[in-house]
Amino acid sequence: MPRMNGCSRGSSVFKVPGGKLIKVKLELEDGIINLIQVQGDFFMHPEEAIEELETVLAGSSSNELHKVKDFFSSRDVQLVGVVPEDIVTAITMALENAKQQ
Amino acid sequence: MTEKWRLLVTPPMDAASNMSMDESVLRHCGDTGTIRFYSWEPWAISIGYFQGMREEIDLDKCKELGVQYIRRITGGGAVFHHKELTYSIITREDNPKIPRNILDSYGTICQGLINGLASLGLEAKFHPINDIVVGGKKISGNAQTRRFRGVLQHGTLLADVDPELMFQLLLVPNEKIRDKMIQSVEERVTSVKHQLGRIPEWENMVQAMKEGFEKALDITLIPSQLTSEEQQTMERVRSERYATDEWLFKR
Repeated sequence: MPRMNGCSRGSSVFKVPGGKLIKVKLELEDGIINLIQVQGDFFMHPEEAIEELETVLAGSSSNELHKVKDFFSSRDVQLVGVVPEDIVTAITMALENAKQQ
Repeated sequence: MTEKWRLLVTPPMDAASNMSMDESVLRHCGDTGTIRFYSWEPWAISIGYFQGMREEIDLDKCKELGVQYIRRITGGGAVFHHKELTYSIITREDNPKIPRNILDSYGTICQGLINGLASLGLEAKFHPINDIVVGGKKISGNAQTRRFRGVLQHGTLLADVDPELMFQLLLVPNEKIRDKMIQSVEERVTSVKHQLGRIPEWENMVQAMKEGFEKALDITLIPSQLTSEEQQTMERVRSERYATDEWLFKR
């Protein structure tokens, strides 16, 4: 995809060793995550928390990924098959991918 | 006295109806638990709540082959509902038979299938997080949600498996590795047919699993029907959720 106004898209696929798969798709503009989706075959209870997490991350700078851990430590949300650090890893990979576009 | 639960053995249904029925029973879950056995007509692929429909499934190929696609309310991965027995178990979250801890509860519920497989002559084991294996190969995948103060776990028991057909319907990262992925499934996944050399009658598998769950949970399953309230809710969630593109392509 051509680079326009410093906006680029990135994606990643991260297989957690001994765990599940995380796929991240995001749009990065001038160091800010515009849009992000964290997909995969993991489990999260309640499920709708994923959309809350994505809302928290949208508009964040790429160096604010501590928000992922903050999200899980401040809410009654249970992850199964992956841990918050795995989600950070997958997002970091997608950010690297976006920067190379 | 053992607890009496409801047994629903439902006729083959389309994907939206199957998922609507599971959700409806969950929404109405009361003091009595329910175990349901079902199958899919036409064949369908279900994806987990967190997966992307366009990322996982070759929609054109599905349409060409008449295979439906649906998003589940449970997490987990994509499943091709082809030659299999599908079950669901629904009960209140505070039922003491089901561990509060989700990881533990997978093992407790899967024991029903493991018992059932034993009576078919297969030595199966629970493989955390959410699989059952025979001879080290996966024969059953399971997925759970907890909502509406209830627990829903549904899962599949593979009667037969066709990795080549499966990978026509599922997207692969690139064509070069399609054969490798097919080979990998052949190495990691098995089925009742592979193990027994034949597929038992569907009714016999249902009976074996029914008795397996009765033993695992110390319950008696009483053949039953959906209540009229459950029927109404099923129709509502079908039209409002599962039959909508908004839900299918939510992610």
